[in-house]
Amino acid sequence: MKSDALRGHLDALLLAVLDGGQLHGYAIIEALQRRSGGALDLPTGTVYPALRRLETAGLVSGEWSTVGGRRRRTYRLTKAGQRALAAERTAWHEFTTAIEGVLGGGPWPARA
Amino acid sequence: MAGAGVIDDYLTDLGGRLRGPEHVKEDLLAEARDSLDDAAAAYRDGGLAAAEAQARAVADFGPVDHTARDYQGLLALAHSVRTLWTLIVVLPLARVLWELNLAFWIGSWPSFDGVAPPPAWYLWVARANDSAGWVVAGAALCALVVGRVLARRGVGAAPLARFAGAVAVAGMGFALFGNLSILLATAQLDAARLVMSPPVAAASVVSVLIMLRLTVLARRCVVFASV
Repeated sequence: MKSDALRGHLDALLLAVLDGGQLHGYAIIEALQRRSGGALDLPTGTVYPALRRLETAGLVSGEWSTVGGRRRRTYRLTKAGQRALAAERTAWHEFTTAIEGVLGGGPWPARA
Repeated sequence: MAGAGVIDDYLTDLGGRLRGPEHVKEDLLAEARDSLDDAAAAYRDGGLAAAEAQARAVADFGPVDHTARDYQGLLALAHSVRTLWTLIVVLPLARVLWELNLAFWIGSWPSFDGVAPPPAWYLWVARANDSAGWVVAGAALCALVVGRVLARRGVGAAPLARFAGAVAVAGMGFALFGNLSILLATAQLDAARLVMSPPVAAASVVSVLIMLRLTVLARRCVVFASV
């Protein structure tokens, strides 16, 4: 999948991955790849700036902690992030429903 | 280990392109190293040799030009946010301390010729200078709020940093102009008043130095966002 197409949705994807709980950066990247069946193939270096920007926006919080014996920077959703994710999911469902209605229904019925 | 050099070289190259607060830069590079080490370990677990694993990890991370552009935006934003908070705290605090210092050493500000009030233009300059710190602090606070809203709407770090930098530079330009204007205006009307009380004169000098320092910080917001 083209990375340009993904960039517009990256914030929402990152929020969705963090909905399951606190993760460090590489685990977030693995989760993105795993949950997309490998279709999400962004340069991993773009994920960290996006996470920091979401942190600046107050949608995620990040902190250094020890995970598996290593110090890592982990991220979790804030309350504002949870609200933003819910809004993104609603908008996405409305969008896909509308597009599916046009693209997914086969040929438009012929006029009688 | 031959492969260790690939990651080291990448991070050295990346670090050399970045300008901004050192602690934020170190934090970003430490996180990048963690990610590259994790990716290299995963490739090694998949059967690649160490050097090849780390070369693949670096390739996955992205071209250093693109990574540096994104990271530089973050550094500029971090510096800008910190500068705006500094303006919010320091400008009103410096103003209040200067007024308290004046009240302690001189008391109420006497009229210039002992009888007539100062001319209208001088009062206008004085009022502008008195309010400048508060106005700029308010503008900085508004910029932080607007910046957060824009960040939540997906605006990138670099544009946010440029916006914050523009507010900081404009604000400090106004505050510094007001401070120098009142000094020049007072010198024009009654130069002796500037050195009437050494503690007040010293506080005025300190105020100007603080303004100059804050102006340098504000200018760096724009410089870091333009790298």
